[in-house]
Amino acid sequence: MSAQPRRFTRTAPSKADRTHSVDIRMTDMLASDAAWWDARLGPKHARNRTRADRFWAWSVLLPLCHLVQLAKRRYCRPLVVWARADSGRFVRVGMSIFIEHYPYLDVRRRLDSYFIWFMSAADPALLKSDFGMTRPPALGRVLLDNAIVLSQNAGLRGRIGLHAAAAGGKALLSLYAACGLTNLAPTAPLPAEVKRKNDGRFFIADEAHAETLAALLDPRR
Amino acid sequence: MSEFLKLEADAPATLGAVVEAVTRLSTYPEAELLELVSRGRIRELFPFRPTRPTDLGSDSVAEEDLIEASAMPLSPEHQAALIQSSLPSAAKPPRATPSRTRRTTKKAYSGG
Repeated sequence: MSAQPRRFTRTAPSKADRTHSVDIRMTDMLASDAAWWDARLGPKHARNRTRADRFWAWSVLLPLCHLVQLAKRRYCRPLVVWARADSGRFVRVGMSIFIEHYPYLDVRRRLDSYFIWFMSAADPALLKSDFGMTRPPALGRVLLDNAIVLSQNAGLRGRIGLHAAAAGGKALLSLYAACGLTNLAPTAPLPAEVKRKNDGRFFIADEAHAETLAALLDPRR
Repeated sequence: MSEFLKLEADAPATLGAVVEAVTRLSTYPEAELLELVSRGRIRELFPFRPTRPTDLGSDSVAEEDLIEASAMPLSPEHQAALIQSSLPSAAKPPRATPSRTRRTTKKAYSGG
């Protein structure tokens, strides 16, 4: 791990043209961000049956996640990703809610990790048509990197875990595998605190793997 | 948790119903909640109805107006401010610590 804390990435490759970099910034998610996303992107995302997040209402999710985790004596870390549009100004393009100090899903090691509970990227076609962003960024690795960086900076050495929503089908499993995460075998036991049967849709990155993934994005920080 | 009190101010749900829902939902596995949300069922289980803001603000923001998130763990005070700001009644956004600020992990977790 780097001696200095890692920063979040500040550029991402364009989804359509990987040689082009798009400026991005992260902010902490407020109610106004959730309301904007629900009003401006939510109704259009809801029409896309292939999206796992088509029914996610962030203005409900944001307080819900905070309060449910508070009841479990944990904190959430909700973030917004912004990207520079053609006008030079920044537009919201991604949303995520992580859980801090969640049990690491590899049960052989009783450790904590960051759990990526919800994450969502705006439809690139919508960003082009409605928000003047000719080259929307590719966000999959960026959203994962945010969790890895927070995990590393929190002393959890980059360990992360997530569950791929069933609504995302096989495509979502392929996406996370392509992003470099390890799919837990369906036979693998889960930590008792997770209280869920393993359905084969859990993913992790261990310390070494997380460092490799983070290092790949270091030039973009 | 005083944050609960904020829920009632702008939502038709009663405080009791919200507390009961949070208590019940906190027994659900996170992956199960993810599935319920993805099936569009969360409104049945969580009686919180955010007030639709009259002004969503501009779709875009100048870079200098963005308050960048810190990549470090937040202090409990900052966490509490963020939780309050997640509720529509708490319109005052917290002043985020710029990501350039360095804080030690040990300090960030004291009391967390």
